Amino acid sequence: MRGLLVAILVAGPVLAGIAYSMLGALGVVGPGASGVSLRHLQVVLADSATWWGLLWTVWIALASTLLATILAMGTAVAFRAERGVDRFARLVAVVPLAVPHVVAALGAVLVLSQSGLLARLAFAANLQTSPADMPPLIYDRYGIGLILALSWKEFPFLALIAFSVIARRGALLEETARSLGAGPLQTFRVATLPALWRGLLPSMIAVFTFVAGNYEVAALLAPSSPLALPLLTMERYTDSALDVRGEAFVLVLLAMAVSLCGVAAHEWTANKFEAAE
Amino acid sequence: MQWRMWRGDPSINDYVDRWAAPRLLREYGITLRTIDGQGPAIVNQLVVERDARARGSADLVWINGETFNNLRKENLLYGPWAHRLPAARYVDSLSPIVMRDFEQPTSGFESPWGRVQFTLIYDSARVPAPPRTIAELARWIRANPGRFTHDQQFTGMTFLKSVLYAENGGRRSFENGFSEKRYAEGSQRLWAWLNGVRPYFWRRGETYPAGVADLHRLFANGEVDFTMSYNENEVITKVRQGVLPRTSRALVLRDGSIANAHFVGIPFNAPNPAGSMVVANFLLSAAAQLEKLRPEVWADGTVLDVRKLPPELAVMFRGVDTDPRAIPRDTLRRYEVSELAAEYTQRISRDWKARIRANPR
Repeated sequence: MRGLLVAILVAGPVLAGIAYSMLGALGVVGPGASGVSLRHLQVVLADSATWWGLLWTVWIALASTLLATILAMGTAVAFRAERGVDRFARLVAVVPLAVPHVVAALGAVLVLSQSGLLARLAFAANLQTSPADMPPLIYDRYGIGLILALSWKEFPFLALIAFSVIARRGALLEETARSLGAGPLQTFRVATLPALWRGLLPSMIAVFTFVAGNYEVAALLAPSSPLALPLLTMERYTDSALDVRGEAFVLVLLAMAVSLCGVAAHEWTANKFEAAE
Repeated sequence: MQWRMWRGDPSINDYVDRWAAPRLLREYGITLRTIDGQGPAIVNQLVVERDARARGSADLVWINGETFNNLRKENLLYGPWAHRLPAARYVDSLSPIVMRDFEQPTSGFESPWGRVQFTLIYDSARVPAPPRTIAELARWIRANPGRFTHDQQFTGMTFLKSVLYAENGGRRSFENGFSEKRYAEGSQRLWAWLNGVRPYFWRRGETYPAGVADLHRLFANGEVDFTMSYNENEVITKVRQGVLPRTSRALVLRDGSIANAHFVGIPFNAPNPAGSMVVANFLLSAAAQLEKLRPEVWADGTVLDVRKLPPELAVMFRGVDTDPRAIPRDTLRRYEVSELAAEYTQRISRDWKARIRANPR
């Protein structure tokens, strides 16, 4: 009984929000609502900006998650010992956890922009003479600066989990592999990597879902074309034309579908790995 | 009193929090608090409050243009009340810029607070002979690739409207409400102008700064040679704050410099409309308008007709205009043009996103 109450308290507001968004998408409630119609749905689904935005957002989320994972695994493997140096490295690695996302994004602007720290260093070293000589790393088509900022920000979260995986399971599995005659590279391939992968996958999916929905970092670092899905949603929701705002609700539901895919993947992997153990 | 207003400029915040609020408390016993929120957010908030039948969360809102139009359309404003304010007798009632908001008569549903005019901002050290018309600007952009762009929000769209005016022989052909036909014809010339110069924009016009603050940053960091402002005096306040280079100057384009006024309105569900009116009246008073006009405060234009004021006050208004960077008042007046119906802004913004922004070549 108590469990049910807690579930309702937690899920209630979210479900209310989803219901409101659905009604908004159908033009029943919200700013500019003008009665039930599928118009908003049709406009959004027929708009190429929607699909480019979705594709681009998925690309950013995939690339940042993978980069953060590789960094986390690398750090966990390289600094696994109980020596002082390794402990210090592990401590430094989790520092970005305390930095708010928007601060990380502003930092990326200051460092990576065409008039940023890197560009100024290159200028001082006579490598370039004007801001335009610096390759664009923010507001760029591929979202390089955005991916760097997001993976820097998400990496410590994955690293923390990687540290504990190595400490709890890594040693035992590796010892077993070595006793069965595996070399260092083979040990890494058959014991360390699979353990890390299993331990990290649920968190990777969580990171992917979070990054796909992130607004503030994209707002500071993403290009205006293609427009990332969260930015497109906000733009429609704050459009000065009231009749466009229903489209924001459709986009919100689309973003929710992406998150639900993430949740489904999370459940599936969690079950699979539990069964394997 | 809760005032929902844009909180993005420290000098405006200081004027409200440190100058106006203590005086309201001392003279009327009113405690003024501000809540962040502008334009579309105000409309969304009020729609949600109406849908939820909730108590109003704001006594006063800072609005103009499309926001006023939307709030009126949705019946979300209390009124009419503005003409009843004692301070309203000094308002520049002959000015279409103060009495109309994007062509819509204010009809007493909002009270004017300030007036501003669109200017380009350049660095006189980098561009000693800046372009003075849209045609000259196009030539300059072609001759200096990568050194010009505009933002995607309010200020950038106002720049596009300036181009629309210039490329169609002024604003006359778009007057008196929105017309699909006139828009279709006129906007073709705007898109043609943009397509002609866009390859020479910053980042070849493939991406645009989000808001004008981002454009200011690009300008201050030397990535572009122009920024812009929908306040002819922002260049002065931003130089004083150290945000823009000291050699920055503003200029008005001879094809016409768009001017508008901004207003305060009272939401339909304001808990205390009488108190809201006291605040609005205070904001319109000569003392408050004068303080706001000072370059070291905010440099926001007054909506009062200085000639109507008692002579001792009029003298003080005339004495403010002392910053050497300011554009002379007659120059501003000579080139000022007013806004079009709000639908024009909405369509330009929507079509720019679909036609230009979404199609980088």
